[in-house]
Amino acid sequence: MGEYVNLVRRAFGQITGHGGIRGFLLQLFRANDVKTGALIGIDKYGNKYYEDNRYFFGRHRWVIYTTEMNGKRTVWDVDGSMVPAEWHRWLHCMTDDPPTTHPPEPKKFLAKVHQFNMSGTSGCYVPYSTTAKKIHEWVPPKVGQQ
Amino acid sequence: MLSCVGCPVLSRVLSSGASRVPAVAASRVPAASTSLNAGSSVALVRYNTTAQQEKPKKTKFGPLADQDRIFTNLYGRHDWRLKGALSRGDWYKTKEILEKGVDWILNEIKVSGLRGRGGAGFPTGMKWGFMNKPSDGRPKYLVVNADEGEPGTCKDREIMRHDPHKLVEGCLVAGRAMGARAAYIYIRGEFYNESSNLQVAINEAYGAGLIGKNACGSGYDFDVFVMRGAGAYICGEETALIESIEGKQGKPRLKPPFPADVGVFGCPTTVANVETVSVAPTICRRGGTWFASFGRERNSGTKLFNISGHVNNPCTVEEEMSIPIKELIERHAGGVRGGWDNLLCVIPGGSSTPLIPRHVCDDVMMDFDALIQAQTGLGTAALIVMDKSTDVIRAIARLIEFYKHESCGQCTPCREGVDWMNKMMWRFVKGDARAAEIDMIWELSKQIEGHTICALGDGAAWPVQGLIRHFRPIMESRIADFQQKQQARA
Amino acid sequence: MLRLPAVGRALAGAAHSKGCLTASSNVRTSVRASSNLVEVFVDGKPVMVEPGTTVLQACEKVGVQIPRFCYHERLSVAGNCRMCLLEIERAPKVMCSHNYSTLDCSSCRPWKGIFGHPVAACAMPVMKGWNILTNSEKTRKAREGVMEFLLANHPLDCPICDQGGECDLQDQSMMFGSDRSRFTEGKRAVEDKNIGPLIKTIMTRCIQCTRCVRFASEIAGVEDLGTTGRGNSMQIGTYVEKMFMSELSGNVIDVCPVGALTSKPYAFTSRPWETRKTESIDVLDAVGSNIVVSTRGGEVMRILPRLNEDVNEEWISDKTRFAYDGLKRQRLTQPMVKDASGQLVPTNWEDALMRIAAMLQGVKGSEIAAIAGGMVDAESLIALKDMLNKLDSEALCTEELFPMAGAGTDLRSNYLLNTRIAGIEECDLLLLIGTNPRYEAPLFNARVRKSWLHNELQVALVGHDVDLSYSYNHLGDSTQVLKDLATGKHPYCQVLAQAKRPVVVVGSSCLQRADGAAILSAVSTIAQNARVSSGVEEGWKVLNVLHRVASQVAALDVGYKPGVEAIRKNPPKMLFLLGADAGCITRADLPKDSFIIYQGHHGDVGALMADVILPGAAYTEKNGTYVNTEGRAQQTRVAVTPPGMAREDWKIIRAVSETPHVGVTLPYDTLEEVRDRLAEVAPNLVRYDDVEEANYFKQANELSQAVNQSLLADPLVPPQLSVKDFYMTDPISRASQTMAKCVKAVTEGAEAVEEPAIC
Repeated sequence: MGEYVNLVRRAFGQITGHGGIRGFLLQLFRANDVKTGALIGIDKYGNKYYEDNRYFFGRHRWVIYTTEMNGKRTVWDVDGSMVPAEWHRWLHCMTDDPPTTHPPEPKKFLAKVHQFNMSGTSGCYVPYSTTAKKIHEWVPPKVGQQ
Repeated sequence: MLSCVGCPVLSRVLSSGASRVPAVAASRVPAASTSLNAGSSVALVRYNTTAQQEKPKKTKFGPLADQDRIFTNLYGRHDWRLKGALSRGDWYKTKEILEKGVDWILNEIKVSGLRGRGGAGFPTGMKWGFMNKPSDGRPKYLVVNADEGEPGTCKDREIMRHDPHKLVEGCLVAGRAMGARAAYIYIRGEFYNESSNLQVAINEAYGAGLIGKNACGSGYDFDVFVMRGAGAYICGEETALIESIEGKQGKPRLKPPFPADVGVFGCPTTVANVETVSVAPTICRRGGTWFASFGRERNSGTKLFNISGHVNNPCTVEEEMSIPIKELIERHAGGVRGGWDNLLCVIPGGSSTPLIPRHVCDDVMMDFDALIQAQTGLGTAALIVMDKSTDVIRAIARLIEFYKHESCGQCTPCREGVDWMNKMMWRFVKGDARAAEIDMIWELSKQIEGHTICALGDGAAWPVQGLIRHFRPIMESRIADFQQKQQARA
Repeated sequence: MLRLPAVGRALAGAAHSKGCLTASSNVRTSVRASSNLVEVFVDGKPVMVEPGTTVLQACEKVGVQIPRFCYHERLSVAGNCRMCLLEIERAPKVMCSHNYSTLDCSSCRPWKGIFGHPVAACAMPVMKGWNILTNSEKTRKAREGVMEFLLANHPLDCPICDQGGECDLQDQSMMFGSDRSRFTEGKRAVEDKNIGPLIKTIMTRCIQCTRCVRFASEIAGVEDLGTTGRGNSMQIGTYVEKMFMSELSGNVIDVCPVGALTSKPYAFTSRPWETRKTESIDVLDAVGSNIVVSTRGGEVMRILPRLNEDVNEEWISDKTRFAYDGLKRQRLTQPMVKDASGQLVPTNWEDALMRIAAMLQGVKGSEIAAIAGGMVDAESLIALKDMLNKLDSEALCTEELFPMAGAGTDLRSNYLLNTRIAGIEECDLLLLIGTNPRYEAPLFNARVRKSWLHNELQVALVGHDVDLSYSYNHLGDSTQVLKDLATGKHPYCQVLAQAKRPVVVVGSSCLQRADGAAILSAVSTIAQNARVSSGVEEGWKVLNVLHRVASQVAALDVGYKPGVEAIRKNPPKMLFLLGADAGCITRADLPKDSFIIYQGHHGDVGALMADVILPGAAYTEKNGTYVNTEGRAQQTRVAVTPPGMAREDWKIIRAVSETPHVGVTLPYDTLEEVRDRLAEVAPNLVRYDDVEEANYFKQANELSQAVNQSLLADPLVPPQLSVKDFYMTDPISRASQTMAKCVKAVTEGAEAVEEPAIC
């Protein structure tokens, strides 16, 4: 009997734990999941990190992304690279110590401000061509330099 | 002289011509047998027939009597200048010879049976006769080949330093016979004293009015020029010599056109050896029949022989043609070092003829045809005698190195092949080869022979062929020794 | 020693001589002996040949190819490679030239051949009754032996050799060589030589055939190449370290049967079997050399000559061969327009055409003009002319000037090389006036040299004293000489009067002077006098003009006016430059608000001053008609597509004509229709490979008498004096790095040009 009570309580908690119907629906559409857990911390961009050890390993830690990051709306357009380096360790179970309790050593190579992944955009990195140009076009001189 | 290397080929021409001759010459044989001093056509036929050989008139050749010698100052014991030459009978009645006319001189030369002394042994009378075609306005020239570079040969230099007037007078007579305007004497660059003596003799002859305008008072203008070479063996080849006179690289020209059509400076030219030219006046004075009385049929005359190598007394001597090689060596050169039995082999005609071993030397005669039968050639008649102390493989390898150095580099077979043979020969000297490579070098020499513009390739191939023909066992045993030593070391 | 007039004359009758062999094979002589043919047999098949024919030529006549390396039918016979050795069987009793039976005559030293040894087919004249065995055991053995010797010291680097795939040695060793090597000794190596930025030497590969040496001394007329050393250490080289300085030097690459001389710019770029070959025409000079354009993947890899006996034989000049890298640089690949700041910016076709259309609004026909440059095809010339005529403009002109006084360009014979290039071989006296053909038309000059060498052509020159690679009679460089020649006062007139077939060639550059009409008038008189005194038949043409640019004759044929004087006098509001890059008109000559359209393929002088640039196609990228200086129409073919957005020129003009405010749509949509229109205007332009006869010299001369102009005192100096002026003359060669290297090499020495370390 107690099992069923617990089940109902969890279901109720999952429905109400996101801030009402609106929050529940938002969570459902953004993350495709409505599970709740203990909020371990929030990073400087507003991403929230949760843990619930009742789930099996691999699904027991998750992130709910912030809705606005570095001036970009990220309600729907989220990207795995939004997780900063210090939280990445905890999220991927490389450590059990979240940066809230064990602040990471500052490293030179860590970006101060997060940069979005440019793949698939016009700003993406393209390696230079190693084949010689077959035709070199004429470049008109700049005005005033003639 | 390089041109000597053509000799065996030529004689092959003659002999194969002869072998197929019966039909051709049948009608002429009686004429030829009846009279020797008949017309020129008879003399011509004589070279094509073997009818005479069956009943040789003369069986003993040599030694030459002193009164029959042409080169009477061969050893430089008398004055070589004009005065001495006059006292020896040079320039005697030259005017009369010239005045007898072209046909008479040519006929005497033809009757004498003189064959080119440069090595190829081409009938001189016929060769000079080629020049008497109707003139097309170009002058004709006589070129005297004094580029005596054949290893072992030292006959022309003796003539030029001790009897230069013989040559100068010869130029005049030969030049008259072919209607030449001038003679160019192309003398080997190393012959400094010889060219200097020759020039002095020419100057004397000019001074005495013997050559130049109205030579000897005969009304015939004839000039003689001396041109010094720069030390290339190939310039002894007649067309290379012509190129060299013209100031170009001494590289043989293609024939045809032959020099008799297009020679020096594009004009008809005859190239003749010093000895050939030098004997012409004496032949004219003493008569062609006198000259023809020496030696065998088709090999008549007297000849300068050079004997060098392992003999007691190396020398240059004028002897009758067809003298047995053994008699020549024993009588004039004091015999082989250590006696006749110590003889290993002889190169009978300058470096480019194949060598002959002792058993052949025992009875072979020194003339064109006998040596052809012995698978070698008379060449310049420069005998290189080797006794049993000789490493014959090394001796031939050294000759091939000479030819490799002197190849002009025009024709592929000679340029590449002689170099290849040279490298192989030096391996044979050590024995560092396989026995099958003896057959290979034989084949290579056959690939060179007859495949080139001039005869230098042939001359380089023949010594190797001679070596393999007669000394193959020595080569094989040396290879076996070497291999044994290698195995012992391993 | 190559040219021995006395001997040559003497030998004319002689059956066999080096000179005669070549002369009879490929030099046109007016008289040809055709009588008394001799019969020989090739492998038993009878064939009748002329006396003096070589064994090799006789075999060729029955279609049997004899392998060869040193023999080249346009060069003298060297006979040194020995690859063509053949066995010959002889009829037993034949009289030789010495009147002996050939069996007896040892002077006829075919005795080597007769009695067993093979003969060199390239040098041996045939004699009656010979049976030539081209595939007997002995013949095959001889070839195999020679091939073995050739390969003995030849490096085995075919995989990295640029000749691979087109190498005579490779092919012939497959055909005639042995299947294995016996050579176990060390190979010879020869140091490479730097003979300039065009020819790469790998001398270890050399087989000493001396074709290059003979080419240099006989065809190119420079004694730069030769052999040093002898025997196995013989080398081909320039004696001292120097550049092989000739305008025809690239041909030794074709002549070389192995990979010893290869093209430096082409090194390691492609293989012959990878490339697509397109037969085309060169337009870098007015000769119109026939070429083959080798392309791979839309890129021109190299340019090779194509045989045309009437134009370039089988040679091409270095500019033709090596300037192709200029086709890949400084190209106009997309339309450009000037923006508000006056900067040219790339745009699309629509924008560019609309800009032109907008500018045309309100411009009267008389305010439009066009200038055609030196490399324009006849199709775009006619399209532009039709368009402007429809717009009511007649101001169409070419960059090159031609005097219009007298007959001007009305009589076609006035501006052509009427004698034709091949006709030089038939003439006996050539008078050159104010030209340096060696650099203005190298192939024409090579033809003159050939005739000078083999036919004893006499050459005289009025103009600057230049090195023409043959000796000539320099009459002076002042115009006074011309006047004296025309009036018959000059001493050379007597020589001129004795000529049987005189030819007078005047350079187009000297007609560009202010006194061009007077010069042409004087030259016309000289030519007419020479014609009268020689009594030559009516068909023989004396007066010739040697042009320098490829489009000039076609432009004059379709009715362009020569020279831009009219435009300078009457500056248009709108100027259309069709490939005009010579800089005849500058911005300063035009009003400030005039609008300039440049259509062409290179960013050069014309593009710099343009308001709108329309990218056109270069000669390798279009089907175009060009008429060379003889008046011979020839066509180029598409070898590669025009780069980027560039299009064929006549199509661009057709598109311009269609735009709204122009609205004079040209009535042709295909190349065939354009050519039909060309045929309407000038039918000779579409009769390809045919020279239209033109013969109105007398009338032209009469008209020229009316010219009222006096000769100036300035000496006659052609613009290209030395070899450094030769390489860069047009937009393509100016864009070429190879040509720039050549200029550097000839001015500072070959070692000044830096080459990559590999190779």
